[in-house]
Parts: sequence; structure tokens; C-alpha cells
Amino acid sequence: MDGVNLHVFTENAARLGMRIQETFNEHTRDLSITRGGASIFDMPDDKVKNIGKQLDSSSDREKLDAMKRLIALISKGRNVSNYFPQVVKNVASQNLEMRKLVYIYLLRYAEHEPDLALLSINTFQKDLSDPSPLIRAMALRVLSGIKVPMIRSLVVLAIKKCAADLSPYVRKAAALAIPKIFQLDSTQEPALISVIATLLRDRSPLSIGSAVIAFESVCPTRLDLLHQQYRRLCKILIDVDEWGQVDLLNLLLRYTRTMLSKPTISPNNESAEEVDGDLQLLLSSSEPLFQSKNPAVVLAVVRVFYYGAPPSWISKIVNPLLRILHASRENERVVLAYLFVITCAHPLLFSTQYPRLLVRTDDPSQVKRDKIKVLLNLCNIDNHQALLREFIDYADDVDDAVVADATHAIGQCARLVQSCTQQCLSALMTMIKSRHDVIVSNAVLVLKSLVQNQLLTGPPASMPSQSPLTIISQLARRIDDIKHPQARACVLWLVGQYSTTQGVSTVIEGVADWAPDVLRKSAKSFNTESPLVKLQALTLAAKLFLLCPMDQTLGLLSRYVFSLGKYDLDYDVRDRTRMLTSLLAGMSLTINGRETEEQGGVILRREQVMKVMFDGKAGIVDEEAIIHDRLSIGSLNLVIGKDMHGDSILPEWLEAGIDPALRQNEEDVAPSAPPPQAISSTVQQAQVSAGGTPVILTPSSSSTPSRDAKGSWRDLDKFYASDSDNKESESSSEEQESEDEGEDSGADESEDNEDDAEEDVKEESGESRTRI
Amino acid sequence: MAIDGVIILDASGRPIIQSGYTSFPPGYPILHIDALHKELAKVSRSGSVDPVIYVAPGIGDLPGGSACCHVAVGELKLIASVSGDGELWIPSFRFTEILHDYFDTVSTATLKDNFDVVYQLLEETLDSSGHPLTTSPSALRDIVLPPSLLSKLLTSLPTAAQTVPGRPGSSVASSASSSAFTSPIPWRKLGIRHNHNEILFDVTEEMRAIVGRNGSTLVSNVYGKIDSNARLTGIPDLVLSFKNPTVMTECAFHPCVRLQRWMREKTMSFIPPEGKFVLAEYQYSPLQGALVSNVPVPLALKPNITVGEYGGNFTVTFSSRTMKIMDNVRIELYLGEDATGAQCTVSSAGSGVGSVGGIEGSWTFEPRKKILRWEIPNMHSSGSWVLRGSWTSKAKVPRPAHAFQIYFELPTYSFSSLKIDQVRLSGETYKIYKGVRLQSCGSVEWRW
Repeated sequence: MDGVNLHVFTENAARLGMRIQETFNEHTRDLSITRGGASIFDMPDDKVKNIGKQLDSSSDREKLDAMKRLIALISKGRNVSNYFPQVVKNVASQNLEMRKLVYIYLLRYAEHEPDLALLSINTFQKDLSDPSPLIRAMALRVLSGIKVPMIRSLVVLAIKKCAADLSPYVRKAAALAIPKIFQLDSTQEPALISVIATLLRDRSPLSIGSAVIAFESVCPTRLDLLHQQYRRLCKILIDVDEWGQVDLLNLLLRYTRTMLSKPTISPNNESAEEVDGDLQLLLSSSEPLFQSKNPAVVLAVVRVFYYGAPPSWISKIVNPLLRILHASRENERVVLAYLFVITCAHPLLFSTQYPRLLVRTDDPSQVKRDKIKVLLNLCNIDNHQALLREFIDYADDVDDAVVADATHAIGQCARLVQSCTQQCLSALMTMIKSRHDVIVSNAVLVLKSLVQNQLLTGPPASMPSQSPLTIISQLARRIDDIKHPQARACVLWLVGQYSTTQGVSTVIEGVADWAPDVLRKSAKSFNTESPLVKLQALTLAAKLFLLCPMDQTLGLLSRYVFSLGKYDLDYDVRDRTRMLTSLLAGMSLTINGRETEEQGGVILRREQVMKVMFDGKAGIVDEEAIIHDRLSIGSLNLVIGKDMHGDSILPEWLEAGIDPALRQNEEDVAPSAPPPQAISSTVQQAQVSAGGTPVILTPSSSSTPSRDAKGSWRDLDKFYASDSDNKESESSSEEQESEDEGEDSGADESEDNEDDAEEDVKEESGESRTRI
Repeated sequence: MAIDGVIILDASGRPIIQSGYTSFPPGYPILHIDALHKELAKVSRSGSVDPVIYVAPGIGDLPGGSACCHVAVGELKLIASVSGDGELWIPSFRFTEILHDYFDTVSTATLKDNFDVVYQLLEETLDSSGHPLTTSPSALRDIVLPPSLLSKLLTSLPTAAQTVPGRPGSSVASSASSSAFTSPIPWRKLGIRHNHNEILFDVTEEMRAIVGRNGSTLVSNVYGKIDSNARLTGIPDLVLSFKNPTVMTECAFHPCVRLQRWMREKTMSFIPPEGKFVLAEYQYSPLQGALVSNVPVPLALKPNITVGEYGGNFTVTFSSRTMKIMDNVRIELYLGEDATGAQCTVSSAGSGVGSVGGIEGSWTFEPRKKILRWEIPNMHSSGSWVLRGSWTSKAKVPRPAHAFQIYFELPTYSFSSLKIDQVRLSGETYKIYKGVRLQSCGSVEWRW
């Protein structure tokens, strides 16, 4: 009696303490007493020596203090493994906080001291039967976290025990322990798979998420385990905890893509879509989750709809995606990467929503660039005016990379919507007059491709002031202001390529008036230019000379440039000089100096050289990005833009789904009394969960199952059960193997990374078989 | 979607707290810290660092590298390293929320004070395989006791230490752990008791808008959030209904809200968690039904800027277009990387002397961030102010940002005029005190 009273009293005291603390915390922050932690954290080194003594002391307070000091040392990156023996002794401490600190310590150092770690195992095993679910779960977590090979079988036993625990939290811990023990010892696979199968049948939505994690890491190919559970999992989806929802959604999506038939549209009637009943069930039960506050859940639902839903459902992803875009900066960065992929495939989905993607000046530069990419995807005849105005604004940005992207976007605009080409050109021409190098150089690069494009397709009759040749002449006159090497090279090439004049009388016959001066300027600055510009200067010289070989000045200029190029430090420049001089050998014997006599080989005539020089590269080099249809949304490499090892790839749809009868479960047929769920353990809660569970669209195929069908699959169930019981190891590893092969043939070729990983698993399981 | 580990850096960028990283080479966390420092050094303007940084693989690492996701928590930085397969675990930010929940102010000092609590939190929220475990604050409070004065007192008094431990031979289950993990509702624990039952709702709406060069609103959206603070006994079942629920679209809810009920009746029915939580988020949709429905921006800016050599001049007129008093107006302009200083004067605008109200405000130039900031503590309705001045720059051709950022607050105002109709309680019999507070704020980008 006294004990109970004392217990109640301490509880009340603790509660009172909480209340007092909340009111006084503010006022007492500056008291030295609350700064105890900091003094521990920044303690002087001589205090370290005491830790050992403190750990051995009989006072709980001393021990706790010592543990805190140890953790502080860990935090500072010191190796404190030499205290291991003393810490292990405290593993059975009565103080919960103390225990947790000991656990943290153990998890970090158990690997280094396997023998000593064994000393603590007994305590944990005892804790596995503790009345408090918290202690049971914690014991299992530490037990599975201690990577000591000797205790593997013990841990497996513990997992089995905890998987049948009454508390869903302990079952959750059991599920999370499975991948760890599997990593340590893959020979336990059959036993673990059977535990996973039990956990997947779990009634409580709380532990499902962790069971899915275990499934994905131990036996991702055993989708057959899900047949019976699929419909139930769909129905409880809404009650699963948020992180569990993410994992479960991904798994269910994978299941549907592997096991169900692809939704099809009948060719004559767009609105009539044929959707598998079970797929519809997943879609309708995941749809409410679009309203989750957790962006990870929303993204997972988006994935389900994007990869699983028939086309008419896809529009549902638009608003949720835009909503989580605004949740935080970090979200914005990630969601934009996914938006880019989605808008590549479905530009029309978002085209009216473009205002929500407009760039803000205070966005991080990567976000700005991503937004520009996405906006460009959305660009169409209806919104191009507004978008073009935006891109022109963005070209004023303070970030160079953003300026480049925006300028290129202007060029792309002109290409996508032909009618705004003139607008784009005039915008770019204004940008060339800018005082900022970056803007000018980018504008030049984009102008080049636009001008080329125009010359190819034939210039429009309107606005003669913006005709391509006028633009080139303007560029030529501004060559001094264009500093960026690539842009300079570009202008030089344009001048050379398009300086031909026909019928117009010019100072030098056949060459536009503005061209020779560009050559003069580039000859003058030749030595200070970058190799890229030098190459183009040489080409320009060759072209101009070719156009008018009779002209004295041009000849001298070209010769000067060639002789500079001949002795340049850069290999490429020297090579180019050699090539060009040989090409031009037929034109003028004097150009190559004295060696002309001994030059052998073919000497081309002027017309031939013209052909080589001018017609070689008239086509537009389109530096368009490859559409990333291989990348799946929700993968890391999409966000980073780099190929990450081991990203999962979604399987392709199967030709035809498997028999839906496999997915029938006893509960579907005969709804029994509500099973004891964690969420509905009290009477009030029963109403709650009833309100919370979704209205289920039961697929017609499964609503009226025939009696004999039920009997037959019950047998199948038995068959599976007996199979797994009797010859556990053999059958399941074989099944695994055959499953793997099936996957391989069905899945995409480029699944190399994954296949490698699977191969490893297979090899190991093969070894285990021989050992048996 | 697995997260390799979490590192917390202090204000000077040194790691103070770091999770296990047991299955990774020892250099792995350092690579991530380095990557972040490199990025930070590259970008002069803080806040424009890419929140996801690619980290090239180090020696002995997994091939393919990893990602360093980071988020600022006050003066601290929290790094979550992610590698391997699957999705990016965006919400390492959930951990920052938990930190805020446990410690009122998250700073180097508080974390150092309570580093043992932080370690316990890390342990409980993140499984060593990198999967999130318990992230609901109410469940966490059961497992990890929040730092309290009392517990500090107890540990600092030598006598108290002897009296507190439980009876010998009993399990370690103290008052905290016996109730842990036993509640049928994950977000609410059993046996909560208050003498005074109350639930408070804070409706906060934020406007985000962009105004173009010509003064026309390109986009303006209002995002709302309903924060609640519940102190209720037992298991109360609440129904929150609105007079005008149609102003809310794109709603997102706390897991406690029954989604089907909302879809059916547009009422929020829920069993609240204890303490503070975000009940719902929504977007305000004006009722016109127009395709692009912009909410009017309650202010106007007339910038007149000339960029010359080594600096420039500006005259900016700011005026309010609302009948409410605006608080804490902040107008910022990034003057470019090479900006060195600024000189301004603030004056009242134009002829209407009587109409100008409030305090004229003050300007500052922040040399580190190169931002010119003009602050007006409160702005009366239809008042207007002028900021005239010039700035200097090292660069011959300065490159200021082409937009002002304007932040403002409107206390006791809501853009959507969302009205809570009633709060009905069932499941418990006591009377509750209900309170609603409205407030709005906004951030507007004004281009020039």
C-alpha cells in the first residue's frame, strides 16, 4: 500500500514540477544552476580524469554526471572507449535517463569491445520482458544495434518475441531491428522473412510503416507476401503514422506496377478508362493524404498518382504540389526538381499556374535556376508574353548563373513560340547594350543561335531593322565590349560566316563593310585572347581572305594572324593554323611563306575551299537538355543533378495483372467484429477511428466472391503456410532466386546498380544453402 | 529514404552535436561539414546557399557520393546527410521543430546546457538505420523529459538524488516511462488533467506577392495557418466549424483532423494533441472564381533609382493602402556585392501634411549582407514616407538587385476574413474557454 501511495505521490510531484518549471523557466534562465550542462560540455581536461571514479561511485547523481561528461566528450569527437567496462556495469541502472545515456554510449562503442558488450546482453534480455513497452522497445533497439556477431541468433529470437508483443510500439521496434540483423547476418533471411510476413499482417496501423521498411531491406522482391494484405493496407493507409505512410505508399505503388494491369484508355472514347479495381482502391484511399501537412507524404501520394493513375487523374497532383512548394525554402528546392520532370512530360498541367512559380529576388540561386527551367517548360502560346517579360526581368539578376539561364530562356521562348521571335531579338539587342559583361556575353550567345535559326528558316519580312544581318553588323561593331571568351568567339564566327555580300557595292568587293575591322581588332589583341577566341580569329581571317584574295590589306592581316597562330603556345591553335594555311594554299602562293614549293598533296580550288569553309557548319547546334524521363520523381539524383548510386527505379507496368482472386482475404469476405486496434481500444476511440477511416470503394470484382473460390484459395494459403513452415530455408531462398530472375527479365536493362546489389544477396544466400 | 546522420553546428560552424554515423567511415561527417563550409564561403549573401549540397565520395565511402541537406535553426545549422537509395528526407526539419518545442530558444548555449537531452531526442527520433521513429512532440515528451528547473534542482542537490530513484527491485519505469507508449492515440497521452480547460486558435495569414515594374500585381497569394494551443482534460473530441469555410482551399491538416469529415462537411473534427500544434494550413481563395485571383496588395512603393558609376541615387516613396495600421514595416534592397555604404534621409511625402502619421522610421545599411534596410515601426493608414539617398560601390558598374523586399505585419486583421463559427466539445463534460486571434503579415517583392 505504502509503495503505491509513494508512487502516486512521486507522480504528482513530477507533474507539479513540470508546471512550476514552465512558469519559472523564463525567470531563472540566468541562474548558474541551469547552466550546469554547459559547464559539463566545456569542462576542463583535468576533470576528465574523474570520470572513471565517478562511474564507480555509488551515487546515482555522480554516475549521471559522469555519463553526461562522457557524452560531451563523444560530442567533441574524442575517443572514450576506454571507459567501456565501467559504463557497461551501469547498464541496469534504475534511472531512466542514466540508462538512455548508457545506451547511447553502448551503441557507439559496442563494436570495438565485443567481449565486454556481451556482459550487458543479459540485462537487455531481462528487459525484453519488462512491463513497460518503452523499456522493451529500447532493449530491443540496443540489442539489435550492438553489432556483435556472437549474439545474432539471440537477437533473432528477441525479434521473434517482440514481433508478437502486445504493444504496437514494441512490434515497431521489432520491425526496425530486422534490417540491422539482416545486414549483420544474411543467413537469417528465411526466419526474418517469416517475421516480416507476420508483421505485415499486423492489425495496428502503427507498426506497418516499420514492417514496410523491413520488407524493403530484406526481401524487396517478395511482393507475393502482399497479395493477401494489399487491400487491407490500402484501407488502413490513412491511419498509419506519417513516415509509415511514405514507405507504405511507395511499396504499394511498386506492387501495383508489378501485379496489376496498366490502366488503359479505350481509343475511341477518351473518358472511358479501364482501371483495375485494386488500383482504384489505392488511388481513392491515398487521395485524402494530399491534405497531409507532411510534405514527404504529399510527395509520396504525388508519386502514386503520377506513376500509377490513369491520365485523367493526374491533374489532381497540381494543387498539392504547388502547396508544398511554399511550405519552406528547402521544400521549394526539392519540389522544383520534381516539378521539372513532371512539366517535361505534362506541360499543360501547370501552364495556367505559372504565376505561382515566378522567381523572387530573394530566392537562392539554385531555386531561381530551377524555376526558370520549369517556367520554360510551361511556356506556350497563351502565356509566352508574360513569361518572356519575366525572363527579361530575370536577366537583370545579381547572380551570373541565373542571368545565363534567363537569357537562354529568352532564346528558347523564341524557338517555342515563333511569333515572338522579333520581341526576343529586340530584348536581346537591348541587353547587348548593357554595361554588365555577363549580360552582354550571354545575350550574344543566344543571339547567335537565334540569328542562325532565322537565316536558315528565312527572315520574316517585317521589321527590317532587326534582320539577322543587321544584328550581326551591330554585334561586330560592339566587339570591344564583348569580353566573355565564348561570346567573343561567337561574334568572330558570325562575322566570318555571314560577311558575304552579293550585289551590294562595298569598299572591299565581296566583303561586308563591318567585317574587316573586326579582323583588324582581333589581330591586334590576338596574343591576349583565350584559345577559343584565337581559333575563331584564325577562321575569320581565313574566311575573309577567301572572300577577297585580291585585297592587299586583308591579305596582310590574315598573314599576320596566321604567323601569330603558327607559333602559339596552344596545340589546337597551331593545328588550326596549319590546317587553314594548307587549305588556302591554292589561293595564294605567298601565304605560307617559302615552304610552298615542297608542299605535296591535293590543292583545292577557291570554290572548293569556300564550300569547306562556309557550308561545313551551317546547321544549328542545339544545346537542348535531354529530357529526364529515366529519372523518377522522388529520387535523390533528381534533386542533386548527379547520378547517385543505387537509386531505386520503378518497375514498368506488366502486360496483364495477376489474378485479383489472390488478393482476397478472409476479412474482405466476411467482415467480422472490429478487430482490436490500438487506435480503437476505448469506446470513444471506436467512433473516432470510424470517423477517420476512409470510405472505401470496394472493387466490384471482390465484393461478391463465390464460396468455392474462397475455399480454393484457402487451400493455397495453407499450401503457402505449410511450405514456409516445413522447408523454410530452401523454399524461400529458391523462391527468392526465381523471383529475382523474373524481375530481371521484366525490369529495365539499366538496373545495373540494383542488380549488382541483388547479386550480392543471392551469392550470400547461395553460400548459406551449401552450408546447410 | 534513409538519413545517414544528423550534425548540429554552432554559430561559428563547429560541430557540437553529432549522431552515431556508426556504419560510415570516420571522415564521412567531416566531409559534409566541409562541403557546407565551402558552399557558405562561396556565397556572400547568406540564405542563398543551395539547401541541398552534393558531397563527392571520400576515400572508402560508398560510390556515388551523398547529399548534405542543411537548415538553419536560429544561429545554428543542422545538417542531415543523405546517401544511397530512394527519396530525399526533406523533413530533417521536423527535428528543428522538436528542438524548438523542447527549448524555447534554440541557441548554442541552450544546446550545450541540455546536450544530454538533445542526444536522447536524436536517439528517439532517428533510428540508427536512418528511419524516423517518434516525431510527435507529445509522444516524445513521454520518453524524453524536457529540461526543467526541477530536474536540474534535483540533480544538483545531493540529498535529492537519494530520494528520487524508484523502489529497489522494481523496474526502471518511472512516472515518465510507465505512461509512455500506452496511449491509443499516438498524438495524445492519457490522463491529462487541467483545472482550467482552454483552447486557443491563432489564425495567421501571410501574403506573398510580386509586383512588377509597372506597379501591376503579377502574383499575390495568401497562405493561412491555424495554430492551436490546447490545455484540455481527458480525451476531448472537438468540432470546429467556420462561417465561411469556402475561403479556404488547398487545406492541409494535422494528423488528428478527420479528413473525410472535412471533405464531407467542411468542419474540422479532431481530438487535439496537448499543447501547441499547427491544426491546419490553407490558401485563401477569393470568391470571384476568376482564373488568376490576386489578393490586393495593401501598400504601394514608388521607386526611382538611377545607377551611376561607383554607386547610385534613389528616391523611394512608400505608402499604405489599407485602413489598418501596419506594424514593423521593413523594406530591403540588396545593393550588390561591391556596395560599400549608403546615406539616406527619411521625410514625409508630398502635400498632405496632416495625413502622415506614425513614426518616420529609420534606415540602416548592413555592410555584411550589403542590404539597405528601411524600417517603419508603425505605419498609419494612407500615410506615406519618402526615403532619399545614395549609395557607393567599389565596382564601376554596380549591380543592385532589381527588387525591393517589403515585409509588414497587420495585427488583428485577416485577408480572408475567415470566421470561426463555433467549437463544439463532445466526449467530455466540462466547459472550455475558447479564444481566437487573427493576425496577418506579408512579404512583397516590388520590382523596379
